[in-house]
Amino acid sequence: MIQRKLSVILENKPGALVRVVGLFHQRGYNIESLHVDPVEDLNEYRFVEEKLNINLKEGEVSHLIIATTVNDNLLRQILRQINKLIDVLMAEEIK
Amino acid sequence: MKLAGNDMLIQSLIEEGVEYIFGYPGGAALHIYDSIFKQKEMEHILVRHEQGATHAADGYARATGKPGVVLVTSGPGATNAITGIATAFMDSIPMIVISGQVAKHLIGTDAFQETDMIGVSRPIVKHSFTVDSAENIPEIVKQAFYIATSGRPGPVVIDVPKDTTAPDKLFEFKYPNKVDIRSYKPPIEPDPKQIERAVDAIIESKKPVIYAGGGAINSNASEELRRLNEILDFPVTNTLMGLGVYPATHERFLGMLGMHGTYQANMSMHNADLIIAIGARFDDRITNTPKLFAPNAKIIHLDVDYSSVSKIIEANIAVFGQVKNSLKEIIKLLEGKKELIDSKKIIPWKKQISDWKSQHGLNHEMHLCETDDQPIMPQAVVQHIYNITKGKAFITSDVGQHQMFAAQYYHFDEPRKWINSGGLGTMGFGLPAAMGAKLAYPDDEVICITGEGSIQMCIQELSTCTQYNLPIKIININNEALGMVKQWQDMNYGGRHSASTYQSSLPNFVELAESYGHIGIKIEKNSELKSGLEKALSIKDRLVFVDVYVDPNEHVYPMLVAPNGSLKDMWLDKETKT
Ligand SMILES: Cc1ncc(C[n+]2csc(CCOP(=O)(O)OP(=O)(O)O)c2C)c(N)n1
Ligand SMILES: [Mg+2]
Repeated sequence: MIQRKLSVILENKPGALVRVVGLFHQRGYNIESLHVDPVEDLNEYRFVEEKLNINLKEGEVSHLIIATTVNDNLLRQILRQINKLIDVLMAEEIK
Repeated sequence: MKLAGNDMLIQSLIEEGVEYIFGYPGGAALHIYDSIFKQKEMEHILVRHEQGATHAADGYARATGKPGVVLVTSGPGATNAITGIATAFMDSIPMIVISGQVAKHLIGTDAFQETDMIGVSRPIVKHSFTVDSAENIPEIVKQAFYIATSGRPGPVVIDVPKDTTAPDKLFEFKYPNKVDIRSYKPPIEPDPKQIERAVDAIIESKKPVIYAGGGAINSNASEELRRLNEILDFPVTNTLMGLGVYPATHERFLGMLGMHGTYQANMSMHNADLIIAIGARFDDRITNTPKLFAPNAKIIHLDVDYSSVSKIIEANIAVFGQVKNSLKEIIKLLEGKKELIDSKKIIPWKKQISDWKSQHGLNHEMHLCETDDQPIMPQAVVQHIYNITKGKAFITSDVGQHQMFAAQYYHFDEPRKWINSGGLGTMGFGLPAAMGAKLAYPDDEVICITGEGSIQMCIQELSTCTQYNLPIKIININNEALGMVKQWQDMNYGGRHSASTYQSSLPNFVELAESYGHIGIKIEKNSELKSGLEKALSIKDRLVFVDVYVDPNEHVYPMLVAPNGSLKDMWLDKETKT
């Protein structure tokens, strides 16, 4: 198994981050590193706007990067679980 | 219209069409309770323990398909509701839980009756909200109902700090008529390509089984499932959560599958070449050892929840969407291809299944006995109830052997009539759930089939039934033990009954029921069984508690062999393994 990096775009709301982080523990996955920032420069996030057909405003969403070591099946499962969270706009693997 | 926060909250519930709110008051919820007092559209049901409120709301939701609504105070009120929230979460039941909270300026100070309800409930809710400001109440309530009822349903908590419900600050009230959450878009219509692939696999199959679960009930897809099978005439099995979605008395019905499923249902799944899973999630009580599950089957999986598909068993064809809609599309396509369906192809398979059924199917006669030299068999109790009610009653249940006997021997022809905690397996669920179902359907028979262990976990709700005159029937299958635990101890622990019996400490249930103002009936002999149950069920305007003493040594069979067994590995009785 190799380490994977997941990119998660979520609403910058109180409690949203802890749902993602909590999910790893609930489902028995391990977090190896974690980085989160509010999105200020929207230029790099036009793909989110296009994919979801929405307009983002500065600071409205956060970008979370999580590293974890899992196999392909589990990775798919984790991404589906994260995407299911109500405050998550998008979760995918960084290739 | 200008309203204060407390009135906005209640008015929002009324706008959502809430008929009943199940709850228990306390300091942090008192502003809200004052608003309840001032209105007439919605009835508040005062339970005797917050767990009862959640299960009652849950029972209401399962019976009607509408969300159940709960109101509790902060701290202990909120934590008492947790078991019921987890129960609803595991079975995907729409529920709104409003919890009082200490005022915003006190949050984080360990104030009196402060608990981080959002934190405590996080792993067992579909979503949760904190009311940050009174103005947002209508929007939050609207979103909460939408989230609870759409996609894969589930419980939603709204935590309400006391200051946001203060009666002295008024706000403009306008209930939103639309809701759009940009980060939440559950799938609705299936992908036509997947529908085509599913139909091709259906037409090709020689040994198909339809495996339908609670998701098919949640999606109100019973009618579509029946229509589909008018075309296909395939064997159908239902999970514990799915009972009733396909008629149990239909010739093609195999019975329930899984841990205590029928021989023919489990054998059919194991030997199938195609499994059509409809709103079912391949729970471990269904698959037994996943690696050994249905080795030759192609899997079509219809579900609204992406994360349920290929979680345990890899699906060959995944169809995401409301299963009702997915079934409609499959039916449409199949109707156009009728000439390709060769019903002769599955004749040998049907023959094989009917052989399995006659070899080791449930034996109904075996348990019926009229003479008093034999103890009453628990299965007979359920069979009599089935016959007396002609299969038309709402049956709620608790957890244990009695629950499995109810699932096996009460044959449900309609969805939403069987109400039990399948996922969490919560003892104490049955009585309050019956209250919720009875409030929703006052003219229908609502029967709680329970055990003397489970009933004592929410027995206090007998008092609620008195207050609101809820004439449900409670059938206590009394084996004087935590029967299911004892069965496992018999089978796996050399019969060492560690903490599974009560050593003559059981109450006199007849007197207990009477002290709450109900009718109690005790049945100890086979010769009294049928007439006793008939009498109890003929009383329409009173709650009747029937305490039936049954054979304490009976086990539930079939039972899957675990660990390391497959679906074809079953105990058929105390001595026989497949
Ligand atoms: C709240 C809770 N605690 C413990 C269990 C574990 N458990 C499962 S079945 C059972 C025994 C239930 O006894 P009873 O209600 O008398 O039913 P019986 O099996 O005897 O029919 C127990 C303790 C549970 N399911 N729920
Ligand atoms: Mg018992």
